[in-house]
Amino acid sequence: MIDEHQHACLECDLLITMPEQISHRSNVVCPRCHHVIAVGHNNARHYVLALCITALILMLIACSFAFISFATSGQQRTIGLLQTSTELYSQGYWLISVLVFVFILLLPILYLLSVSYIILSSRFALRLVPIVWLGKVIAYILPWSMAEVFLIGVLVALIKVISMADITLEAAFWAYVLFAPLFTHIVFIVDNHRLWRWIEDAK
Amino acid sequence: MPSSHSSPYQKDSAAAQGLLNCLVCQQLAPIGTQHCKRCGTFLSPRVKNSVQISLSLLITAAILYIPANMYPIMVTDLLGDETKSTIIGGIILFLESESYFIAAVIFIASVIVPIGKMAAIAWLCFSAMRNKPIQQLELTKMYRVTEFIGKWSMVDVFVVAILVALIQLGGLMSIHVGAAATSFASVVILTMISAHQFDTRLLWDKTEE
Repeated sequence: MIDEHQHACLECDLLITMPEQISHRSNVVCPRCHHVIAVGHNNARHYVLALCITALILMLIACSFAFISFATSGQQRTIGLLQTSTELYSQGYWLISVLVFVFILLLPILYLLSVSYIILSSRFALRLVPIVWLGKVIAYILPWSMAEVFLIGVLVALIKVISMADITLEAAFWAYVLFAPLFTHIVFIVDNHRLWRWIEDAK
Repeated sequence: MPSSHSSPYQKDSAAAQGLLNCLVCQQLAPIGTQHCKRCGTFLSPRVKNSVQISLSLLITAAILYIPANMYPIMVTDLLGDETKSTIIGGIILFLESESYFIAAVIFIASVIVPIGKMAAIAWLCFSAMRNKPIQQLELTKMYRVTEFIGKWSMVDVFVVAILVALIQLGGLMSIHVGAAATSFASVVILTMISAHQFDTRLLWDKTEE
């Protein structure tokens, strides 16, 4: 018989007993290899759902408005976030084009939608997608979400062109600047232990 | 000398007590279970052939790192005048224009991080394979750093993507992608999978130095 509170550390396989209650803002850390197993939060369900919705709205703004404008000697060009991928595609570099689209837009959005769906289905009886399947999807896509990396990329690119022309930062840029750290924060709060407890509740 | 256990695992690990940990949902199951009861993932006490898979991906990445540095990552077309710049060339250009901060960011993200990462994975695989006591905690910390910084090398590819999208002013000034961008993206992805395939629990099955 396996005790429900028994947990094996993912990184060193040490068998430990999880505490009944993890207090707010304190982490459960593997005593042997210091791997962070769970993050304590008193009201994680509501908190994460609210953050997910905020992030999705920011993402919607980032996708629908102009991203950056660039003007030099009478010529002007304004791009949207999606164009960072489509322009590569039109130059024939379909592999990087798909990668950029997947890493900066598709996977973060998929992650947020999955987490929101799991939280919502523990309250309402939603039966559209199998929840366990969503949990597995999250485990596979998480290492590949690169919102924060893209943000640094944008900043480096901006410094590169700022001396060449007049740069205007548009609404979508600011939305993405807010989105990237918010997304990182959500990923930090939703640890694996908590996620699968939610999935158990929702089943 | 390594102390002799009857099982190949350290005695306080889950595997030594007859339990398998699911790598996706982290539910424990008795040894002999084929698939996780909760999420259906295939279970095994340690990732099978973890070191071999890691090493083979690593070697592929190392080979691809050569074209990534030889070919231009970006071609700037200024009034019909084409300038091809490689990754290293771009860094030198930044140094010449005295933007030391950006030069440092690009240098760290596209030179130090990929090379350091490949060296770190190679060292981890070597430590996991040889039959000697190792410094488990230090190696695990190194693995964590390797896994964390993995995706940050993509910065260079994203910079190119943004510049290519933004600077398209016809004959006046335009930027095109170079062949190195694909190879460099592949290097980053292969090293990320390679790091992910490495099973740190192998380190903890050994004896501490």
